[in-house]
Amino acid sequence: MLIFTILLDGIAYGMVLFIISVGLTVTMGLMRVVNLAHGAFAMLGGYLASVMIRHYGIPYVPAAFLAAIACGALGGVAELTIYRPLYRKGELAQVLLTFGLIFISIAAMTLIFGPRPIDESMPKWLEGLVDVGFRTYPTYRLFLIGVGAALALALWFIIERSLFGARLRAAVDDPGMARAVGINVNLLFTLTFVGGCALAGFGGAIGAGILPIDPFYALRYLVLFLVVVVIGGLGSFRGSLAAALAVGIIETAGKYLVPQLGSFLLWIIVFGLLLWRPNGLLPAKTAS
Amino acid sequence: MRRILAAVVGAAMLAGTTLASAEVVKVGIIAEFSGPFAVWGTQFRQAIEAFQKVNGKTIDGHEVQFVYRDVGGADPAKSRALAEELILRERVKFIGGFALTPNALAVAEIITEAKIPTVIFNAATSIITRKSPYYVRTSMTVQQYIDPLPTWAATEGKMKSAYVLVSDYAPGHDAEEIFINNFEKAGGKIVGKARIPLNVTDFAPYIERAGGSGAEAVYIFMPAGAPSISIIREFAKRGLKDKGIKLLAGGEVQEVFLPAIGDDVVGTISSMHYTETNTYPENIALRKTLMEMFGANAVPDIGSVGAWDGTKLIYDAIKAHGPRITGDQFVAFAKGRKWDSPRGPIMIDAQERDIVQQVYLRRVEKRDGKLVNIDFFKSGMVRDPWKIANPNAK
Repeated sequence: MLIFTILLDGIAYGMVLFIISVGLTVTMGLMRVVNLAHGAFAMLGGYLASVMIRHYGIPYVPAAFLAAIACGALGGVAELTIYRPLYRKGELAQVLLTFGLIFISIAAMTLIFGPRPIDESMPKWLEGLVDVGFRTYPTYRLFLIGVGAALALALWFIIERSLFGARLRAAVDDPGMARAVGINVNLLFTLTFVGGCALAGFGGAIGAGILPIDPFYALRYLVLFLVVVVIGGLGSFRGSLAAALAVGIIETAGKYLVPQLGSFLLWIIVFGLLLWRPNGLLPAKTAS
Repeated sequence: MRRILAAVVGAAMLAGTTLASAEVVKVGIIAEFSGPFAVWGTQFRQAIEAFQKVNGKTIDGHEVQFVYRDVGGADPAKSRALAEELILRERVKFIGGFALTPNALAVAEIITEAKIPTVIFNAATSIITRKSPYYVRTSMTVQQYIDPLPTWAATEGKMKSAYVLVSDYAPGHDAEEIFINNFEKAGGKIVGKARIPLNVTDFAPYIERAGGSGAEAVYIFMPAGAPSISIIREFAKRGLKDKGIKLLAGGEVQEVFLPAIGDDVVGTISSMHYTETNTYPENIALRKTLMEMFGANAVPDIGSVGAWDGTKLIYDAIKAHGPRITGDQFVAFAKGRKWDSPRGPIMIDAQERDIVQQVYLRRVEKRDGKLVNIDFFKSGMVRDPWKIANPNAK
């Protein structure tokens, strides 16, 4: 029975990581931009949803969707104005600028919302426990698993089955060739960036029960998001799903079975995985 | 012409003497005004400003001026540099502040050399006041405010067994030690414990294990903020609360954090040296002034009372010894001094220069739609247990 508990906890946690990180994986693979500020969009989503729920009485799920739309829109503006000039710059410039964006986001959120974590805004129907056969289990975590699975399915369809997805994959594989055959890669970049930021915002909003929202969010969880990207493989949607679930399950199992090791277990496994597959579990094919 | 000049010079000299008799006493405040611990700097500053509003900015005509410096986060080198700057350039007579132990410890050498008394408004590691004879503390130590909780839990609280969850860092280890010692001494049984790394974000496994251990109570100690909010929510969401297991805590459930945790926190029992809802007149004055100055949501916390009392101590010492008070005079003045704080009666230990105070056990309740702590037990005056157990540690 313990194994099922570990799986449920690990998958719920992994799903939050997946929803937030998948956008980062795809945009990093596609544009080769090290966007360390990705978590700031998740944080913003959490703040916006909370404000809508508590001050405007908008229900939980619509608030999360509205927050996602707002984050996507802001992401689009940021892509056109801040990120685009970065594509041609080196990685160091990208790291510096996007890290600076994190600090700006921290200062802005502290100024607007104060330095403490924001008030919780979980709806009543997500509180409490559900009987899952072998035990009772928190409704909220089942909700996360369900939403994560639905999003993964939708993303799978968009990326692997739609024309947009085919163009996207082509552009990830070989941007030069994609341009040559008439794909508007710039537009593709912007759309993908918007989608990635919207997902991050959505993940930040619904994941707030596990990753509480405070101004340091983008910095505190940055390493987790990057681990998912690196283990999954740049540009790989399936890789990021596998990596997020693996991180969630491994960390959870470690805490249940060998709590003395602390977080050490996760990092040693990450280390081993990267020795074994330096490009990640399921890397996207690239021409370069 | 010459006569006029002489008159002007004479008048200027006279003015000079009257100016000299009204002196400015500068107090340097080194605190965390930005970064992840910015809450503390804000609390210190608001409490100092509130104190000055109530008690005035001058003492017998001498102006007391506070000079604020931001140390950012845990940054001992910067803390030291700021202390140097405050002493040498700003010529401060006192230093106050310090939310974090490393920042407080970093100035020990300088303040000893310069004989500048330094009042700790928050940093809670026991050893600090032994590192310089010029440290005086008006906050608390970790073991001090935990001390009565395990004893009460095992006896009057009728909790026979407990599970201990602490963050894996020095204050967490201190908390674990005193909780387990006192709980077992009072006849309770520890059925399990875990040290949680500081970077853990998902606490489900820890709460699950604690819930399955058969313990009647779960004690937690961690830095108040995102992690403590997560773990308390998880405690309720996993049904431990509904099973009747008691949650025991400390600073994690100060009033300022309660709205972020939500109604899940109701029923949590904690021990602390300051309860925001207490009815001491000093506390009512503090709350009222803070609300008038900084809006209805300004809730005082331990940082506010630490700074309030530190400021009061400095004010009282200047009142007694005048604006040219020396470091040694201040320390002598502080030793053994008793006064009424917003938290209740407090005293500065004559040997250790550390605070001696009552500790309050409280329960989180919802009153008039607001989550608050309500006292239900008050200890006697508690000295820092670590210093009693380690009389010679330096």
